[in-house]
Amino acid sequence: MASPFPRLLPSLPFSPSSPPPRIFPGKPLPRLRAAVSAALQWNRKPQLAGETPRVVVVTSGKGGVGKTTTTANVGLSLARFGFSVVAVDADAGLRNLDLLLGLENRVNYTAVEVLNGDCRLDQALIRDRRCPSLELLCISKPRSKLPLGFGAKALTWVVDALRSRPSGAPHFVLIDCPAGIDAGFITAIAPANEALLVTTPDITALRDADRVTGLLECDGIRDIKMVVNRVRTDLIRGEDMMSVIDVQEMLGLALLGVIPEDSEVIKSTNRGYPLVLNKPPTVAGLAFEQAAWRLVEQDTMTAVMVEEEPKKKGFFSFFGG
Amino acid sequence: MSFRVEALGPVGGFEEESLGVTEVAPSSEVHFHHFRSGASDLKVAPKWLQMKLPNINSRNRSHMCFGMGENKLKPTVNQDAEVFLLNVVNMSFLDRLSLAWRMLFPTAKVRKNSNAKIAKQRLKMILFSDRCDISDEAKQKIINNVIGALSEFVEIDSQDKVQLNVSTGTDLGTLYSVTIPVRRVRPEYQDSEEDYIGNISNIEYKDTGEKSGNIDVKFDFFLPSDQSKSVNWISGN
Repeated sequence: MASPFPRLLPSLPFSPSSPPPRIFPGKPLPRLRAAVSAALQWNRKPQLAGETPRVVVVTSGKGGVGKTTTTANVGLSLARFGFSVVAVDADAGLRNLDLLLGLENRVNYTAVEVLNGDCRLDQALIRDRRCPSLELLCISKPRSKLPLGFGAKALTWVVDALRSRPSGAPHFVLIDCPAGIDAGFITAIAPANEALLVTTPDITALRDADRVTGLLECDGIRDIKMVVNRVRTDLIRGEDMMSVIDVQEMLGLALLGVIPEDSEVIKSTNRGYPLVLNKPPTVAGLAFEQAAWRLVEQDTMTAVMVEEEPKKKGFFSFFGG
Repeated sequence: MSFRVEALGPVGGFEEESLGVTEVAPSSEVHFHHFRSGASDLKVAPKWLQMKLPNINSRNRSHMCFGMGENKLKPTVNQDAEVFLLNVVNMSFLDRLSLAWRMLFPTAKVRKNSNAKIAKQRLKMILFSDRCDISDEAKQKIINNVIGALSEFVEIDSQDKVQLNVSTGTDLGTLYSVTIPVRRVRPEYQDSEEDYIGNISNIEYKDTGEKSGNIDVKFDFFLPSDQSKSVNWISGN
């Protein structure tokens, strides 16, 4: 299992849940020692905050912004940290999460068959060989007729069954939501306690994201965090794309991660090898991993301004031009 | 795009020479700032943007700002150009040379209407209108409630002409405005004249008497016999 890479963004040296060490000479300092050893450890893990299992729905409203990619990569990062993760593809008609994880050949049983009683729940969960803590659950087979009966109650039942399964509840349940705000969306958000809103910095995605935020809050999900995907810093610097600060200001949501535009995403999708498993890690992979870290610790980040290009000095620069 | 003529207050107490702020017809936004002290870091931008002039050796120590706009402002433009030239001829040779250089070869500036800013503005508008989108029956209910609440105090001209408009203001966000034509105020709520006898209003002090020892006041007080209100001047020590 590869160790997490050193964090490049400035952050607290100790995780937020452990208190800062106090320097009192003579007193036994077990916390200080634990904190120091945690900081010095190369492959330290984030500390889980919130009650298990944490049911997170990954949604966006607009299609094509990177929900499934985010679910796959964040889920895999969480699994590499050591948490048990179940990724649920809640798109009953068109499913893609299995393609992204490279597990499309191994899908035999889906949740529809579990509900019908044709198989057990653990038979429908597909375990990834590269990373055993991650399990995939699909809702239905693509060739079968559209399952009209799979509604919010069914998905809630599935999540409860996962919670009370004999092998123990998973730490995380990531639900990959279908695009749009119709029945599929309502189904997917029903069992969730938290939401991860994936958006891109363009105006169409932001409008839809705002609409989805309103719907999520109506449904009772208040803990909404945002991931801004497909960020191109060159366009931001040239003032052609809205910066992440603008996005945060417009939507008013806490920021979990900023993922730069990376061609590796397409390559890894085509191969069926998720991005975060790449050695050496790519920019987007690192960003996904940091987002997963923040998801575990229920932390948020703040956006920083992209540096402007330094002004090119003209030839007659002594005139001030 | 709005056009503003802006005046900066002078440094040094020459209050009488400062101009007021006026809003001229909408056109591109220009600021022309004229600073007194030796400001040597000047940047002359293309016509529609800022231009700061140094005025190290100026004799007229006034502070004026003016802008150049489009054709509808011809008389003011000529006036401003005159004043501008007046200042320029008073500058030293080197200053004029650098000014000319900057005019001919403007440096790149941050574009006001960059794509990101346009997108942000549009998004703001669309988010406001999306967030406060209200259904037609809710609109009708609001109108009925408002008519009911208001008809206790006034008589409404015609209920069909009452309208609810949802618009987005730039600062306030979403604005709901209900327009109601009113015929008259109901008699029990009308202003009764007896309450207002001797009421003094609209007081203006021309001279508060701190310096000269005289007080010069103009005010209105209400006499119910004649419909028009009367005005009195009082001066005294």
